[in-house]
Amino acid sequence: MKIKSRRTFFKTTFLSTLVMVTANNTLFASITPLQTLAVVQKDLFPKEMITQANAYAYVSLVFKHSRVSAQDKQFLRNGTKWLHEEAVAKYNKVYTNLSPQERQDTLKSIANTSWGETWIKTVLSYIMEAVLGDPLYGVNKDEFGWKWLNHKTGSPRPKEMYL
Amino acid sequence: MKYDYDICIVGSGAGGSPIAYELSNAGYKVAVLEKGKNLREEDVSKDELAVSRRGLYTPDLKDERHIINNREENGTVTRYDGHEYSWSFWNGSMLGGSSNLMSGYFHRMKPNDFKLKSVFGEIKGANIVDWCISYEDLEPYYEKVERVIGVSGEVVKHSFLEPRSTRNFPYPKLEENAVTKWFDKACESLEFESIPTPRAILSRDALDRNTCSYSDFCGSYACATGAKGSGRAALLQKCNAEIITEAFVYKLDSDAEKITKVHYYDKDLNSHVITAKIFVLAAQAIETSRLLLNSKNEYFPNGMANNNGEVGKNLIFSAGGSGEGRFHFKDLDALKQKELMQTGLFFNRSLQDWYEFKDDGINYKGGTIDFLFEHANVISRASREFYNNDGKLIWGEELQNRIHKQLTSSRVLTFEVFNDWLPTDECFVSVDEKTKDKFGVPVGAINLWGHPHDVKVGEHLAKKAVEVLEEMGAKEISYNISAAPPPNLVAGGCRFGEDAKSSVLDKNCKAHELRNLYVTDASFMPTGGSVPYTWTIYANALRVADILKKTV
Repeated sequence: MKIKSRRTFFKTTFLSTLVMVTANNTLFASITPLQTLAVVQKDLFPKEMITQANAYAYVSLVFKHSRVSAQDKQFLRNGTKWLHEEAVAKYNKVYTNLSPQERQDTLKSIANTSWGETWIKTVLSYIMEAVLGDPLYGVNKDEFGWKWLNHKTGSPRPKEMYL
Repeated sequence: MKYDYDICIVGSGAGGSPIAYELSNAGYKVAVLEKGKNLREEDVSKDELAVSRRGLYTPDLKDERHIINNREENGTVTRYDGHEYSWSFWNGSMLGGSSNLMSGYFHRMKPNDFKLKSVFGEIKGANIVDWCISYEDLEPYYEKVERVIGVSGEVVKHSFLEPRSTRNFPYPKLEENAVTKWFDKACESLEFESIPTPRAILSRDALDRNTCSYSDFCGSYACATGAKGSGRAALLQKCNAEIITEAFVYKLDSDAEKITKVHYYDKDLNSHVITAKIFVLAAQAIETSRLLLNSKNEYFPNGMANNNGEVGKNLIFSAGGSGEGRFHFKDLDALKQKELMQTGLFFNRSLQDWYEFKDDGINYKGGTIDFLFEHANVISRASREFYNNDGKLIWGEELQNRIHKQLTSSRVLTFEVFNDWLPTDECFVSVDEKTKDKFGVPVGAINLWGHPHDVKVGEHLAKKAVEVLEEMGAKEISYNISAAPPPNLVAGGCRFGEDAKSSVLDKNCKAHELRNLYVTDASFMPTGGSVPYTWTIYANALRVADILKKTV
């Protein structure tokens, strides 16, 4: 029972636990991955679509999903830390305190690194899941994503979420 | 001695389900042990997030994995942990196995596939042999599959049409997308022979199953109407074999001559034992070899039926690869644009003009090319647009516009090449003693190597497919032929043959070394032909079922 409780604690706090942003080997700032991802999502895909997709809440679901591996979750979390560190190196500010243009420049900068390219693709993949997944998962509000692409989904639709 | 069952079958896919169906309907007491759950038509959906993004129908790799020992071009071997590298060889872990998830492209093997060595000769570095049965031996069972599983299509005359005992398929062609007319016209112009692809999908209500609903989500998804000829829908639901699901068989026991019992874990990891007169393994090629190799005792210290050291050897896949071309609205008139975007209807076309071909005076065994539209999975289709035409990662409005344009004003036609994966000493199944699954059982190790000949043949076929796409007016044509193994097209490991020293099974698919052990999944195949395997697995299992009826 104790172990189960700890696991539950881990799951619910994984995204809200602060990541430590360091610069020159000293602590620069601390910020949660979820706050960071909320900003990054809107920098990577138009804001109104992110909102209709409920992409912000979907990230929490991804982090709880039994079939998203611990390594993938850790990579997503670590990416937010590295993104901030890149922002600090360029502008001496954490990513979320940058101007929109500075944030875009920071994304372009990390896109030229191996980890950064993979991380941006990972975030984009989860955005696509939120834009185009079945609304049963609390995403793709009123099927706006399917309507956007004239997509006819398969039948039958799912009756329950697979988590 | 009193037995729990006459026949105990391990695995319920295309290899196991025909045995259960035939023997239980003949009055024998049959048990089927299946690792997955029993998911019926009403239990499945077209949930892309669950099925295609989160592996709903396959084991979690952190619990069950394979070790892949890949032979690199320089001869060194690199070890990959399947979990660490997200490299999965699982297919469908559910009642009926991966036959639930197949696309159902059904081609028979050709007569010369059964005598590859005699017809085409040896190839250096490959263990090619003739089969110990002929096409003529299997033809009645191919025909039986057409009736019992249900194959729809239209037989057309072409250069490599195999001999048939009936004139046509028992079920008419499925409805086709209008773009097939463009394809047929292009083939006519190129003097290629367009073949309507036979499918293991019912085109009308029959066999107490519903017709296809044309949902556009077929391959990778379980069928919700029962039209797809899975082992579950077509066979297991129509017999009174006892089905035991969520049962993982981890060990066989034997005396010197016969298997005495199987051990399995239920979902709560409680161990159970079953006795039977006859045991049939059909757990999928890799897992069948793994089970035999993990079942050691004083009589079989190297694994069950493995005193000759042949179990796991000569693992094969389907060689070849895939390619595609894109049709853009800007190149089409209004009618053709409408035709292009028709959803639901099938693009059932194949080419077998080069099933055998000559190049530089040498006769080659070639293969099959199947054409189909890109899968309807919309998240996957959107995600492939993350890069622009210059190969640069994009996001924001640029990505939004690209996705919209590509998915609403163009469509991708793909092709798949199937040719022989030559059996070699370097491609085989073993067991990785250091790595255990959630049951505490050593996992299967897949030792991989593809013979260079396979890629050469695949390239020849892919170039022909490209000619068709070009003639049709497709743009952005590309293809990839490689030695990468498709996890859903795997066979061998327990090849059958007359010689007990160089094969695991005899011509009846009974182990040479044991009196009551049979293997009826794709493990028995010494070579694979140049077609998807499922029809041949079904047919051979029905053949073995007839033998078992006389044996039990």
